[in-house]
Amino acid sequence: MKLQTKRTVIGLLGILFLLSLVLVQAMEVVRRREEAGITTAHIAVPVTSKSCVDCHGQPTSNPGIVDHWKGSTHALKGVGCVECHLAQKEDVDGFDHYGAHIATVVTPKDCSRCHEKEFKEFDGSHHSKAGNILASLDNFLAEEVEGFRDDESGHHFFNPHSPTPGRPDITEVNGQASAMVGCLQCHGSKVALMGRDGSKITVDDLLPDEKGVPTNLDALDLIVKTEDGRPKFHPDTWPNTGIGRLNLDGSKGSCSACHSRHDFSPRRARQPENCGKCHLGPDHPQKEIYEESKHGVAFRDLKEHMNLDGESWVLGKDYTQAPTCATCHMSGHSRNDGKVTHDPGERLSWTNRPPVSLVLDTDAEGKVVMETDPKKRRELTVFSAEEKRGNMKQVCAHCHTPDYINGFYKQYDDFVVLFNEKFAKPGQAIMGELTKQELITKTQFDEEIEWTWFYLWHHEGRRARHGASMMAPDYAHWHGMYEVAERFYMELIPQAREIADHAEEHGDKDKADSVRTVINEILARPEHDWMPKKPPAELATSVDDGDNSGDDSVTTPDTSSVEDDDATPPEAEESDTTSDADSDGE
Amino acid sequence: MSQIKRWFQERLPISGLQLAELTNEPVPNHLRRWWWCLGGTPAYLFVVQIVTGILLAFYYQPSPETAYQSVRRITEEVNYGWYIRSVHKWAATLMIAAVILHQMRVYFTAAYRKPREINWMIGMCLLLITLNIGFTGYSLVFEQLSYWGATVAANICDTVPFVGVYAKQLLLGGDSYNENTVPRFYILHAAVLPVTMIGLLVIHIAILRLQGVTELQFEDEPADGPQHFDFFPDHLYTELIAGLVLMILLSVLATIFPATMGPQANPLITPEEIKPEWFFYATFRWLKLFSGTVAVLSMGFIVFTMFVWPFIDSGLRRLTGLDDISFWIGIVGVFLLVGLTTWEALDAH
Amino acid sequence: MTEETALPDQTVDNEPRRTFLLRFPSALMAFGLVAGYGMFASFIGRFLFPSRNRQRRPQYVADLNSFKLGQSMTYHSPAGESVVLSRTGETGTVDDFIALSSVCPHLGCQVHWEGQNNRFFCPCHNGAFDPEGNPTAGPPKDANQTLPRYQLVVQNGLLYIDASTKSLVRTDSQPQALV
Repeated sequence: MKLQTKRTVIGLLGILFLLSLVLVQAMEVVRRREEAGITTAHIAVPVTSKSCVDCHGQPTSNPGIVDHWKGSTHALKGVGCVECHLAQKEDVDGFDHYGAHIATVVTPKDCSRCHEKEFKEFDGSHHSKAGNILASLDNFLAEEVEGFRDDESGHHFFNPHSPTPGRPDITEVNGQASAMVGCLQCHGSKVALMGRDGSKITVDDLLPDEKGVPTNLDALDLIVKTEDGRPKFHPDTWPNTGIGRLNLDGSKGSCSACHSRHDFSPRRARQPENCGKCHLGPDHPQKEIYEESKHGVAFRDLKEHMNLDGESWVLGKDYTQAPTCATCHMSGHSRNDGKVTHDPGERLSWTNRPPVSLVLDTDAEGKVVMETDPKKRRELTVFSAEEKRGNMKQVCAHCHTPDYINGFYKQYDDFVVLFNEKFAKPGQAIMGELTKQELITKTQFDEEIEWTWFYLWHHEGRRARHGASMMAPDYAHWHGMYEVAERFYMELIPQAREIADHAEEHGDKDKADSVRTVINEILARPEHDWMPKKPPAELATSVDDGDNSGDDSVTTPDTSSVEDDDATPPEAEESDTTSDADSDGE
Repeated sequence: MSQIKRWFQERLPISGLQLAELTNEPVPNHLRRWWWCLGGTPAYLFVVQIVTGILLAFYYQPSPETAYQSVRRITEEVNYGWYIRSVHKWAATLMIAAVILHQMRVYFTAAYRKPREINWMIGMCLLLITLNIGFTGYSLVFEQLSYWGATVAANICDTVPFVGVYAKQLLLGGDSYNENTVPRFYILHAAVLPVTMIGLLVIHIAILRLQGVTELQFEDEPADGPQHFDFFPDHLYTELIAGLVLMILLSVLATIFPATMGPQANPLITPEEIKPEWFFYATFRWLKLFSGTVAVLSMGFIVFTMFVWPFIDSGLRRLTGLDDISFWIGIVGVFLLVGLTTWEALDAH
Repeated sequence: MTEETALPDQTVDNEPRRTFLLRFPSALMAFGLVAGYGMFASFIGRFLFPSRNRQRRPQYVADLNSFKLGQSMTYHSPAGESVVLSRTGETGTVDDFIALSSVCPHLGCQVHWEGQNNRFFCPCHNGAFDPEGNPTAGPPKDANQTLPRYQLVVQNGLLYIDASTKSLVRTDSQPQALV
């Protein structure tokens, strides 16, 4: 090869080498970009929390707490243990712990030191009031029907009726166990310290001022403390992360109900499973409803593309693939400048919680306006249901056209109104009349009909309405209205008639008649017209016969039942079953 | 300009002409052929290894606590760290391959025969050092495979009668892998072995220069033409071309197959499948074929035979009268080597 | 085999073109070598130049509500530096705060606070600074060097400091120690 050729070859190879290095350069750029997402950030332990981490991070201590914290944004920004657990000298639950004055329970008040806006929103929400269930039906159920509590003294222990082999320490039965574990872990306990006389010292005894400092010093003296000066929590009330927890400093709620400690992962709070700790089950299956809906199906499929780890998580900007619970009820979106709300009620237009759904106009205190006079109602309303619905529509509009959204709301409204008018209000009227006539006691759940009614609105009625609100047809119908209808026609009405008959037998004909009047007036309405009218006695017997009541009523020759033109002809039995089978097949 | 030149020449009494005279070794004609001019390749790669090795040493921390993390840091965080590390790894692979090819060329052209026996033996030393640098370097990553590779290798040493146990202790700095081991491998890899290698290389090349390159005559060349050409600049250009091709190859390999990291070494868990680096496949398979001491001793015997092959060759030729006998033995050897390597590569266990 | 033997055969009239043909490969070679190895050398330079500093990140110090005007506090960074912060304004922005570094601007020694003299003092060359960080004596006064300040950030009513986090606790697993 000639020298000149060699020189040229060297020159060309040099350029090729340069090109290969440009390839290397490109790889480097790509790698840097990727790296930003994959390498874990190094966590610097703030000096104030170094000794906490040194001790609690040991395998023999609680490394889980420390590891969780290391994965948190708090850790990244230098917010350590003491920053949140710090207690003021006056705090009732503060104690000295290796040189720091700290408290075990971190309340929303503590969080509000940094997260003030979130605290205020949450404080105004229905969530924060979840702890005030003392007088509610559900609470009565758990505390007294399922458990035991003496109304007069508040005493809630009773003696075991035989020993538990192997556990000689079981000498008494805590009647509040079901409420503690069942109700309060979602609703929130009233956090209590142990009193020396065995009493619970709660926020009611301490009467804290605005800063959370207790004003009733007598209560302080009663508190049981461990040898190292740590106040003892009453195990009925702590541990608890219920969302409406009533804390010793007077604040309501628990941020860790949704933002699990100690990593406070936004990723987790964005996912439906997070809400599913409480919003599931027979009485409010929101989680299951969501999973059935198109929204939930899309989420499961597209979860990985939803930027769940993103620092910002604004619908329309950071993701649009599918909504989670948080997306619709709380998270920011591109039409409200990404403003997150910690009050999920800000976007709800109906409350489906009570027996009869209410329009969610709220007053200055955030309470549902019950006023019926339109003018007064308008005056009282501070935050109208229409406005709230408008807020929700803004979210919907990221994926749906206005016609579509309005169409959906029409279907939803129609459904709620149907339930209200056909079953809820009549049911309420019947139950009200029975109570008024004193044919049932004031005590709840001691008569069968009270269970029936509770099932109707609290379980089946809510399932139906929630199913309609979040596009789950099966919950709206088969788990919902179908069961509502069966409960109404086949249990509530017959049971009410039976009570009336019973009253008549005992000489209370007036009472019986007034109840019967209410029932008959209801059943005379066109929406109940499909049902053949029969004398009450006969209907009552047929119920006793068993589940074939419908067949009986048709086959029993009865002239009164065919007086209407469109009453079911005798041969309808067969055609009914056929149509039923048809609809099943669909 | 001329003043500066004079200033230097007054102090360093050597002229450009003398320098040219010294370096401008006449190069035999057969080196014009591309396949015959690759002797410089290992040397070039060795330079690449020195440069990239020094660079890596800026960040590498040789202790069991930090070794793996520092390699991870080089690979993931340092600017172009992955590239430098990958080039170092690929250059090592190519260098070992080049050394082996160079040795084969020397062997099959019988260039080790009198008077070049000593240089052959020095070359054998260089081969062994190259392999050892490869082995120690691999261990420095402190990942599972390299950790267990080193452990197994040390215990192989142990099976040698009498001296084995001392060799193992010397290698590991204790009875088993301990906190002394990584620093030991590091100093062997980065100082002792390379410096020895440089020394031997100088002697290797000096002897070559004293004796001249073995000259090969090809049939298609005119016997009466010039038998040599200039080193400078003609052969230098050839070397530059080879060097650039190698750099391109290394960069492309580093980009497409960058050096990865296995899981960190864990003294409590042996991986299901352990394998040494590819250049030890044949050895590894041999050790599996024969048990313990037999395998090690036979391995040592083979290396010794290779070492003194120039003398065995002359003996064999005298005994058999066949001039080509070493060539055919070599063919068998290469088949054996390739066979064992392929076997090991394909076999999972 | 070199071109020198071929040169006399060339005619004289195409001298410029011939020169170019002779010089072009040399220039190309020089360019190729410089470009290729030059780029490689630049990679080496970048390799040796430390990757971006991951050891500084804004760290939480206090919330603005509890850090009142006129107050001062000492922040200990994870790396062990003590930083004296004071609040001198009430605008609610980062300008309200001063965070003095304890690194002397003269030659990098650590200053310490002398309570009795109400000054920061540097033992290396007797430099001194007032509580605001202005030089009052020694070489810093001659050169009018003030104590450097830490970068502060105010976000959502919280004060962060851009301090060193050098003593790192890795989130990934620690290497296992060999027994």
